Amino acid sequence: MIKNYLKIAFRNIILQKGYSLINITGLAIGITACVLILQYVSFELSYENFQVNKDRIYRVQQDRYDNGKLSTQWAAGAFAVGNSFKDAIPEIEDYVKLVQQGQVTTEVDNEPTKIEKVFFASSAFFNIFTYPLIAGEKNNALKEPFTIAVSETTAKRIFGTTNIVGKRMDLDRKGNFTITAVYKDAPVNTQLKPDILISYDTYVKMNGPDNNPETAWSWDGCLTYLLLRKDADIKGVEKKFIPIVEKATGAEYKKLNAAVTYLLQPLTDIHLYSNYMMEPAPNGDGKTIYLLLGIAFFIVIIAWVNYINLATARAITRAKEVGVRKAIGSQRRQLVIQFLSESALLNGFALLLALILVVIAIPGFNAISGHQLSFSLLSNFNFWISLAVLFVAGVFLSGLYPAFVLSRFNPVEVLKGNTGGIKQHALLRKSLVVFQFTASLFLLIGTVIVYQQIQYMRRQSLGINVDQTLVVNRPGVGIDSTFLQKMTAFKQELQQQNTIGNITVSTSIPGQAVDWNAGGIKLVGADESTQKQYRVIGMDYDFIKTYGLKLIAGRAFSKDFGSDKNSVIFNRKAAEQLGFNKPEEAIGKKIDFWGEQYIIEGVAENFHQQSLREAYEPLILRLIPDVSGYLSVKVNPAQTKQTIAAVKAGWNKFFPGNTFDYFFLDDHFNNQYKADQRFGQVFGLFTGLAILVACLGLFGLASFTTLQRKKEIGIRKVLGAPVLSILNLLYREFALLLLIAFAIAVPVAAFSTSQWLQGYAFRMQMHWVYFVLPFIAIIAIALITVSFQTIKAAVANPVKSLRTE
Amino acid sequence: MINLKHIFKWVTVGGSRVFLLKDINLEVKEGEFISIMGPSGSGKSTLLNVIGMLDGFDEGEYHFLQESVHTLKEKQRAQLYKQYIGFVFQAYHLIDELTVYENIETPLIYQNLKTSERKAMVADMLDRFNIVGKKDLFPAQLSGGQQQLVGIARALIAKPKLLLADEPTGNLNSKQGEEIMELFKQLNNEGVTIIQVTHSEKNAAYGSRVINLLDGRKEINQ
Ligand SMILES: Nc1ncnc2c1ncn2[C@@H]1O[C@H](COP(=O)(O)OP(=O)(O)O)[C@@H](O)[C@H]1O
Ligand SMILES: [Mg+2]
Repeated sequence: MIKNYLKIAFRNIILQKGYSLINITGLAIGITACVLILQYVSFELSYENFQVNKDRIYRVQQDRYDNGKLSTQWAAGAFAVGNSFKDAIPEIEDYVKLVQQGQVTTEVDNEPTKIEKVFFASSAFFNIFTYPLIAGEKNNALKEPFTIAVSETTAKRIFGTTNIVGKRMDLDRKGNFTITAVYKDAPVNTQLKPDILISYDTYVKMNGPDNNPETAWSWDGCLTYLLLRKDADIKGVEKKFIPIVEKATGAEYKKLNAAVTYLLQPLTDIHLYSNYMMEPAPNGDGKTIYLLLGIAFFIVIIAWVNYINLATARAITRAKEVGVRKAIGSQRRQLVIQFLSESALLNGFALLLALILVVIAIPGFNAISGHQLSFSLLSNFNFWISLAVLFVAGVFLSGLYPAFVLSRFNPVEVLKGNTGGIKQHALLRKSLVVFQFTASLFLLIGTVIVYQQIQYMRRQSLGINVDQTLVVNRPGVGIDSTFLQKMTAFKQELQQQNTIGNITVSTSIPGQAVDWNAGGIKLVGADESTQKQYRVIGMDYDFIKTYGLKLIAGRAFSKDFGSDKNSVIFNRKAAEQLGFNKPEEAIGKKIDFWGEQYIIEGVAENFHQQSLREAYEPLILRLIPDVSGYLSVKVNPAQTKQTIAAVKAGWNKFFPGNTFDYFFLDDHFNNQYKADQRFGQVFGLFTGLAILVACLGLFGLASFTTLQRKKEIGIRKVLGAPVLSILNLLYREFALLLLIAFAIAVPVAAFSTSQWLQGYAFRMQMHWVYFVLPFIAIIAIALITVSFQTIKAAVANPVKSLRTE
Repeated sequence: MINLKHIFKWVTVGGSRVFLLKDINLEVKEGEFISIMGPSGSGKSTLLNVIGMLDGFDEGEYHFLQESVHTLKEKQRAQLYKQYIGFVFQAYHLIDELTVYENIETPLIYQNLKTSERKAMVADMLDRFNIVGKKDLFPAQLSGGQQQLVGIARALIAKPKLLLADEPTGNLNSKQGEEIMELFKQLNNEGVTIIQVTHSEKNAAYGSRVINLLDGRKEINQ
């Protein structure tokens, strides 16, 4: 029976070529978009899924409160957290401490080679996390001080083999480390992709007996992961943290009118829902993921709506067939099955087309999304599951309603040719068209606003000059008492080149978060409860000049003042945080900063250290003449190549053993917008697709209604109606639907875009143009779509159309 | 076989009842060949549709074989109908998208017969109506008379006991009409009960009995 139905369905699809093409194309585009986005989303959701213990691993995250208000949130916490909690709380089976070390340099054949991701890790690392060992013993690895574990790729890169357990390795010329294990590389979807792990005991040793991290509660920066017992109650465990933290730090923090709380984060939530200070890797954005998912479903739903609309609009043309079938013995159920088979066949064709489209679209999708989908997708079980689900949902969601409508016809009526009494479902169809246009308009407004915001962020003056700046990564090797001397000589040598402008060394550069956070800072003599946290950039004398910071009070650092060693410059925000709303008032004031006093010599205007997504932070610029950090060099754009060569030559001369990593600061700064730009592109692309699919449907609907009104148009023309009035007649209906869509879309879009903009500290100005322009665009697109049919009908020779009736 | 008692059917137009059938009483025995006649709009088609269970009625009793149709549920009625009744229309009402073969086969599909059985039955029917050569053509490729033959073949394929025909020759020329009537006669001789609606005295003469309708009422003079 099904075979018979499919045969009929197939013939109908062939017979109604245009109509089928519209449906199949629309559905295929919808399915393709959905599948691609689903893959992307499921990748983002799959972070840490490979960890065998993923359901039991939690990160201990720290919230810092000042004056009763949440001030900062940290991925890392105090060093004593892991062992103290484990000792006191039976639900904790084990813990691992990780300390980010950044990059180190080693030498291969006398060539300095950089190793990027280095962590200190305590010995439970391999027991808690799933990084299978290729060589070495799980229980011996990372046990002793000065032992390390190396990733497979790193091992091969440095040694050419993974058979290296027992060998020694030099890091930053700071001593020999014994290799105790080689582990398999981490998969892509994890936050923790260490190239080298150094035993945590090394860290303890390096800090000396007077600075035992195991008891350090006021000393931050340690990532702590707990392995909980299976039945552990998370809230209960968090509650048990409170007295421990209170006992260890309560009195201390109370004096500062501050507090810290420690909370548990499920390992699998970290990638998408955490974005705290000191994250070991950049995070994803859960909101974006679900937004994209929403858009993808919008597109398929629009395609399904096309099917419903066209099928119900064309119902009359199938009425006779339904009547006959009922008259020769078909039951309603059998007719429903027949029409569902048609829907299934159509969806099946769409699925095939979608498969082809997916394969074609993968490279393009990767290019704009920055994602790495590969053709191996086709061997992915989930991919086929999602296809199957889309297929079944499509068949039933789009097919069921028309099937019921069609199968409901009364055979006596329709066989009499009496189709006038058949419900036209015009209201439903109009509502669905309104839905499609509301969705299209909403997405288009969203696209415009996303682009406007990105434009706004990129055009806004940063208050700091990042152009034509070459930055060399900080050296790791050879930081010793001769560093200042070497650096000074290096700078002098460079400055002699006339292609090179100002040069400065600083602990932070624009385009990334300031990683030095200092608490406990207050005015000398002020109460301890006024202590606050500030971000700090250590710098030499030339930073302010090099980066063109604007001083609004006081002066810049200068060698002309012998006492400048204990000088700081505040930014406006920091001065305000200290209690000075007029910057001049801050000048000459002294602050307590970790046991020493510093004089505020100047106040700088706020500048955008990071992208405009981030708010201004209270920032202290602290003079450290022999600071080690990033080297920023202003270059003449016409002679970039020579300049790089010159800087490299000097670098190798003064800092042998270090790799020469450089980048241009404007690129580095703009990289912050990459995620936003990608989001904008993906959003724009899928908006375009949604509009295309909606237009396909509109086109089909317009051809059908115009066809239906052919006779009416003919009569009107015979009666002398001008073409224009005929067009007016045909457009009026669509115009009204568009207006309704506009009325719905604007408030929804205004609300959701303003929600989205909340994620940005600096926001573009909303303007009515961003709403009206998309509306006009949609009107134009809809008009063109509808016009293919209507103009043809309006100018057609009325005699002809009347004769064919 | 058929027993209609006090059948009323009406529609409500502007608050008042317009009767389509008014107090129809009719008994039809198995093997009869009945012609319904009457002016246009007198309710002939309506009556035929009621007998064929395509349409319902508002009052009265209808017994078909052993069953009381007026008490049956929709589904049971469809079952009964599917099994015992075949319909022939003035406008043929073939399914345009199906070939001759498929049109004839369709009722069997609704009876859930196996492909092999269907094949045999359709082949027999094609043979009998001499349209084997046309089996792969679509309705649009046939003349009116040929289409009506297919329509009758389709009505007969499920071996109904009762054949209902609403002006089966209305769209045909007289020669084609005659052929169809001869066919009916022959079918009737084979035991199929037939009720046809016709405007032609000549066609009515093929039957054993004539029922005259006027304004939804049976005329007394039979
Ligand atoms: N559903 C209906 N609503 C209103 N009037 C109807 C309906 N069905 C039939 N009629 C009317 O009932 C009368 C009988 O119709 P019909 O049985 O088709 O007549 P016939 O077949 O004898 O020409 C006609 O006047 C027709 O217009
Ligand atoms: Mg009639």
